[in-house]
Order: sequence, then structure tokens, then C-alpha cells
Amino acid sequence: MPWLKGKRVFVVEDEALISVMVTDMLTDIGITVIGPAATIAAGMRMAESEDMDAAILDVNVRGERIDPVAEALIKRGIPVLFATGYGEVTLASGHVAPVIDKPYTQEKLVRGLAMALGGPQQLKRSAN
Amino acid sequence: MRAQMETGDGLPERPDAETQPMSNDVIEVPENTEPLVNQVLELTELYKLTDRLYRARSLDDALDAAMDAIVSGLRCSRASILLFDHDGVMRFIAWRGLSDGYRKVFDGHTPWQAGADEPPPIFVGDINATDEPDWVKDAIRSEGIHALAFIPLTSQGKVIGKFMAYHELPHVFTANEKALAVTIARQLGFSIERARMEEARQATVRELRDSEDRFRQMSEDAPVMIWMSDQNGACLHLNRMQREFWKVSDGDVSNFDWRTTMLPDDMPRIVETMIGALTRRESITVIGQYRNATGEFRVLQTEARPRFSCSGEFLGMIGVNIDITERLAAEKALRDSQERFRLVVEASPSGMIMADGDGQILMVNANAERLFGYTRPELIGQRIDMLVPSLKRENSSDSRMAFKAQPEPVSLGTSFLALRKDGAEVPVEIGVNPIQTSEGLRVIAAIADISERKRAEAQRELLLAELNHRVKNTLAVVQSLAYRTFRKTDTIARKAFEGRLMALATAHNLLTHSNWENASLHKVAADSLQLRDEIQSRISIAGPAILLSPRAALSITLALHELFTNALKYGALSNEAGTITFHWRNDHAGSLQLEWREAAGPEVTAPAQKGFGSQLLEQTLALDLDGAVNMHYDPEGLRCIITMPLSERGGNACLG
Repeated sequence: MPWLKGKRVFVVEDEALISVMVTDMLTDIGITVIGPAATIAAGMRMAESEDMDAAILDVNVRGERIDPVAEALIKRGIPVLFATGYGEVTLASGHVAPVIDKPYTQEKLVRGLAMALGGPQQLKRSAN
Repeated sequence: MRAQMETGDGLPERPDAETQPMSNDVIEVPENTEPLVNQVLELTELYKLTDRLYRARSLDDALDAAMDAIVSGLRCSRASILLFDHDGVMRFIAWRGLSDGYRKVFDGHTPWQAGADEPPPIFVGDINATDEPDWVKDAIRSEGIHALAFIPLTSQGKVIGKFMAYHELPHVFTANEKALAVTIARQLGFSIERARMEEARQATVRELRDSEDRFRQMSEDAPVMIWMSDQNGACLHLNRMQREFWKVSDGDVSNFDWRTTMLPDDMPRIVETMIGALTRRESITVIGQYRNATGEFRVLQTEARPRFSCSGEFLGMIGVNIDITERLAAEKALRDSQERFRLVVEASPSGMIMADGDGQILMVNANAERLFGYTRPELIGQRIDMLVPSLKRENSSDSRMAFKAQPEPVSLGTSFLALRKDGAEVPVEIGVNPIQTSEGLRVIAAIADISERKRAEAQRELLLAELNHRVKNTLAVVQSLAYRTFRKTDTIARKAFEGRLMALATAHNLLTHSNWENASLHKVAADSLQLRDEIQSRISIAGPAILLSPRAALSITLALHELFTNALKYGALSNEAGTITFHWRNDHAGSLQLEWREAAGPEVTAPAQKGFGSQLLEQTLALDLDGAVNMHYDPEGLRCIITMPLSERGGNACLG
């Protein structure tokens, strides 16, 4: 997926080992990771200030919902990909974003990210 | 009547038979010699007649006496007596010296109509000198008769018949004879009247006695106890049933004191009531217990009335006793059963409401009051609709109609809301039971407040979601460790590990969706064997509906992952033409057989060394499923046969 190379992707993930893995998975394909943020507060701060192309957000961050961070990003027009163990994500604003189930492989992560960033065209390419 | 005869008519005292003054020698005085003698003779006959009529015991006796008096007094050889029958036809009832033929000819013949007023007698001195038709004259002459007398017999002034005197020769009826004839007729008429009245009286007496007998018999056989008392309340008469109750013989009734049979506790009340009835002479009803002949106390309901003579004198009481012991027991049993029913309903852990077919509330229990927040009086008589939220009322009415059309016990399920008095809506489970009663359809509804259960269910779901989240997170952490470990060194090992981890996560997802109760084998297979469409068409999944336990679902998911990964790398899915069938069947002997069969792939050779995959399959899976796993490395394609116990319900696998 050469078109993803060089993208700046913001990560919020409270589990340190998982955030390391995500960073590895993304860095391996040439993506620049912003963060990762491990709390909602940190997430909010970076979501409002950092320059980024997309965000991968854990849904439950130390017992708090990611919704405020997600809403802030969507407001800025930044594509969002949720990573969750819950299965479903519905935001209060009604916005729908792609979701990947934990645990996920690098392939699944990249496919999800491509879907958030692009659409079916990119998705198909990424799937191959 | 006898007194009248003796005094009213002024007839002489009845003489003794021995002192009859007339003797045979007097009767032998020749005719026509001395009119005075005749008169004495006539008087003697009259006297004899009167005496005999007086003694007469029957109409026949009277007729016989009259006949003697006629023949002797009127000195004729023949005579007859005729009376009108019920149809007003003059019939011979007594005769002397008349042939059958003569009586036949003149039967019914009369100069007077029945009931005519006191007509004069007719004396015919010589039949040849009359204007009678010839056949009459011929008939009379051929009987050897020349003179006849027709003397009417009357009763209360009306003709009831006649007597006839016949002479063989023409005869001149003297004034004395005529007077004697009329006197005899009067006596006879009077006797007949008396005999008839006596007959009627006796018939009446007989009838009365019959009717009394009938009533006595009726009272005697009546299926209730009947008694009669005197003014003081002592027994006069007890019918059979009453006598048998106390075992009193008919002769002992007057000595029997019924008061001794009363239950001592009842005595004051019953005695007071009876004394009141006797003194006030009024009807009463009283219930009490009396000891019967076997010593058992029975409950008798007494209905008594005062009885009076024709002249209004108070004679005592008459009453019936009805044994109501069984009836009272039955009533009590019914009351007890109703009470038990009420207690059961009251103690029911559900809210209970009984309504009629139109939805009107007839009864509620304490739990229903609690559940709906109304008091009992606020519910009784109201419509059941008041307990249903307004949005549901129409449905409620519809289902009531349907229920009425076909009443049978139904569980209406758990999707109902009950409307409380405070306006709150409570989730409830409702079961309804129809009861056909003599008063029509009754519906009993058991209503359970399930808000607690619903809350618990929601809580459980939340916990499961949380658990799932943690499990997935843990899997992700494990995965991240593996990722780091194998990142630069062994991509193949990493991917194999990741694949297994993902398979495990898939199974977890599936189980979370079914609340960790069970998972369909179809779903497990479909989720485990997900791939791109072009490969998907080369895989066939089929078998009966089977539910797997969480443990079996996880094991089979991992097994399928291993088989699938192997097929992609080396087996049927490693070329463009190979196919896989994953079929299972119920062998109807308690086992489920699953078969993984590959075909049209590269030629298969048994592996020289077993890897983790086949170990997982052959050992772990067999252990987890409590079954057997057999791998067959057929050259045309790999076959894996899994056999595991199948049960009706529960277990690792059951019929879905």
C-alpha cells in the first residue's frame, strides 16, 4: 500500500504493549505515528493541536469513552478508525466510522485505515 | 234421622218382638164380614211394616217388609215395587208372583215422569173397562190379572217410583184400602229415602276414611320427618321416618320425650323457641342437633306450625324435621375450599387478577395490589384496561376477544408493560387461564413483575460485554508480545500464531453474541472459513442444526483454523481447482460425526513429522470434545473425521 506511506496517523491506546505493536505495524509500512496518547485528556490535547491525516482510536480509554476525542477529530475533518473489543461504536453525533475488532492483524489494521482514509477503491487495493 | 223417626213423626214407641199384639188366628177372619176387623187387620199390617222398616238394615230389608205389608194389607196375591233408575227409567226392583215376560213388557212403564210432584195413585178395578191399548190389556190378562193399583212412591215430595198391587179378579178398592196403600207408599218412600241417605253417608264416611288413610299413608311414607304435638309440645304422632330416627315404636310415641335427644348446648335455645311457638301459637323455624337412635348427633331443621280444630281451638304444633347434616357439611366444604382457594391466590408470589369475559375485575390478591399500586376496592369492578398502558389497550382488547373465542391457558410472554397507579410502566410477564364457571367465563391472570429480572439481564449483558472487551484486550496484548518477538525474525511463525489468535477471537465474538450460552455449528464453521468469494465457492458447509457449548465452539473454531490454514498452504486451496466439504451428521446413536474432506488438491503424502497443527487437532481437540479425531492422509485429499457425543439437550453438542 504505497499510497499510505508518509501519512501521519494519530493513535490513542491506553494499553502500552498494544500501542507499541500498533506503532510497529504502522511504522513498518512507512506511516508516521502521532502519539500514541494513553489518556482522553492527552488525546483531546493532541486531537486539537497535532497535524495528522487520520486517527486510530481505542474506544475505551482507562474506563472513559473516546467519544469527545472522536467528535473533535471529526469536526476537524480527520478520518477516524475505531479499534475496539466491544464490537459496536455509535457516536452521539450520529457519525459513522469504520471499526476494527481487537485483536487485529497488521493486514486488518491497514485495510481499516485505508477504508477510513479513502473508500472502496483504496479498500480493494489494500485488501489485495 | 233416627231421632226424627222416633219423635218427629209421632210414631209409636218400638215394641218388643215378643209383645207383638197380632196373632195368626186374627188374620184368618174371613173377608168382607166385618169392616172393623179389616181395619184392625190393616192397622196391624201397618204397625208391623213400621216396626220392620225401623229395624231394616238395608234397602232390601225395607223392600221385603213393604212387599209383605202390601200383599197382606191390600189382600192381593201379587205385588211389585219399581224405582226410577239414574236415567229416569222405571225399573222393577222387587216383585211377587210376576212372570219374567210380564216384567219385561212393563219394565220402564210408568204413568208419571221421574220427579213429578206427589201425583195421585191410580186404581184400576177392571182392566177390561179401561181405554188402554189392546196389547196392554192382553199382556195384563194373559198374566191372569184383572185389577191393579199404581201407588206413587215419593221422596221429599217427588216421585221416585211406585208400587203395584195386582188382583186376579176385578176388584173394588175400598177407601180403607186406598188409604192403607198410600200410607204404605209413604212409609216405604221414607225408608227408601233414609236408606239412600244412609248409603250416601256411608259412602262419604268410607271416602273420608280412605282419604284419611291415604294421607296417613302419605305422611307415614314421606321422605321427611313429620310430627304432631299437643298444646304442651308432647309428641302425639311421629311418622315412620321420624320414629326410625329416634327408634320409637308407634305405641311408645306418647311416652317419648324428644327433648332428651337434643344436644345439651342447643337445648336452651330450642326449648325457648318451642315454648314461644306454643304460647304465641305461631310458626317457627329452628335448627339444632339431635341424637338419633345410633347415638350420632344430626342437624335437623324444624319447620313447625300451630294447628287448630275446626272451632279454632289450639291443638298443638305440626312440623317437619329435615336432616341437613350433609348439606351443612357440603356447604362448609365448599366454604373451606373457597377459603383455601382464596388463601392460595392470596399467597401466590405473582399478582393474581380474576376477571370476567368482558374484562371486569372480580378479584385481586395482595401482590396485585402491590404490583399496580392500587388498593383492592380501587380495582374490584373496574375494567382490566386501567392496568394496561394506553398504547397497548387496543391490543389488549383484541387479545381478549381472541381469548374469549378460544379460551385456553396461554403465556402472554414477557413483552408486556403494566400501568401502575402512579403512572409508571412496569415490565411484566403474564400467564392467563380460563375457567368456565356456572356464572360464565372467568379469566385468571398471573402477573409477575419482571423489572428486576430485566435489570439483571441488562447487567449480565453489560458484564459479558466488559468481559469480552477484557478478553479481546488480553488477546491483543498477547498478540503484541508475539508481534514484537517475531517482528524481525520469523514472519511465518508470527502469522501462524496470529491466525490462531484471531480464530480464538472470532470464536469469542460468536459466543459473546449468544451470551456465552451456545453457538450454532453452522455459524462457527462459516465464521472460521471466511475468505474471499472465489475461494468461498470451493468450500461446502452442510449439516443439521447443532448447538455447541462454549468450550466445543472454541475447540472446533481452532481446529477448523488449522485445517483451513493447512488447506491454503498445502492442500485443496493451494491450487486453483481443489474443493473442501465440511459436513456433519447425527448418527442417531448419540454421536455427532464431522467430516472435513479435501479433493482435487495436490497429491497428499503423510507428513514425516507432526506439527503443532495436527497435534492440536488430534490430541487437544479430542480431549476438549470428549471425542475422537482421525486424520486420513488419502492421496486424493486430506480427510479429518471428528466424532463427539451428541445429546438432546446440553452437553458439548446438542440438537439445535
